[in-house]
Amino acid sequence: MTLASWSLLVLVLGLVGFDLVASTGKNRRALLLQVVIFLTGAFFVVFPSHATTLAHAAGIGRGVDFLMYPVVIWLTRESLLARRRRVEDSQKITALTRALALATADHRSMPRSAANA
Amino acid sequence: MTVAILMPAYNEGDRLLCTLHAVESAAAQLGGVTVFLVDDGGEPAIAACDLPVSNAQFHVVLARHAINLGQGAALETARQLALSSGEFQAYLTMDSDGQHDVAGLRAAAEAIERGADVALGSRFLGGSRVPRGRRALLRAAGLFEWALTGRRLGDAHNGLRAFNRRALQAIRIRHNRMAHATEITQHVLDASQWSVVEVPVVISYTPESLRKGQRASAALEILQDLLSHYLFKDST
Repeated sequence: MTLASWSLLVLVLGLVGFDLVASTGKNRRALLLQVVIFLTGAFFVVFPSHATTLAHAAGIGRGVDFLMYPVVIWLTRESLLARRRRVEDSQKITALTRALALATADHRSMPRSAANA
Repeated sequence: MTVAILMPAYNEGDRLLCTLHAVESAAAQLGGVTVFLVDDGGEPAIAACDLPVSNAQFHVVLARHAINLGQGAALETARQLALSSGEFQAYLTMDSDGQHDVAGLRAAAEAIERGADVALGSRFLGGSRVPRGRRALLRAAGLFEWALTGRRLGDAHNGLRAFNRRALQAIRIRHNRMAHATEITQHVLDASQWSVVEVPVVISYTPESLRKGQRASAALEILQDLLSHYLFKDST
């Protein structure tokens, strides 16, 4: 293993360890999924030839490409979904804030005829 | 003629009071003005008792967003408030920081009175001393909107605009932040049956207004907001 591989392995295992320790017992299933994905990544860091073998089986030249393609596709999808959720949440907050503002608007200085129109 | 002014405000302090007093001084000439002031979650909140006292020609209706949403959202709240508060002959939008002079208000309201559906303020017609950086930014915005709409406006991002009731009813602002200016321009230029004119407006630039105004970095945020809206229009 090269220095870069060791660094990557330490980073991955460090993140897994930190998240396990920092976890307060909530969302255990999501944490488990994260640990599985990270440990799979660590496995391919330690044994890159296995990634290459799998890549060749799938008709892809390099192991790193075999791992990167799905990751990029998945991250792009996640990014778009997260942005859409943010837009939807923002719209809901705006509607709520606006409804409150309109309901509590201070019309006291309006002429009676206009305020009742 | 009766005029409604839609005015978003966020932490303007004394500048807001100066703006309201300037509007009040022109209210009689405009035939009566009601300001629909929306405090966009500013701290401290605008207190109704601090606002100019109403008289026969001048009234302020105050609404407050519990949290800061952005100028576009405040303008939309003011629009809905104004449309549900009786009939006015002209509906004007203006900034609350005192940048717009009252002569521009009169010019915009008179354009509506003469039959225009929409009157858009142009600082380049009004002899404003526009700083070089701001001028370049506005020109770039104009080119961008020309690319979007196919029509060229002198001053695409001027906060002083006037509408008749029909036009204001047709414009629903969905962009909470600064992209609303592009959105309004698009609405206006897409409605080919509307009569649209540009009126001269003088903008006074002060260090505060330049600090709070749009910077080049805001252009990127506007592009990002426009892209989000384009992608997720059906969600909104």
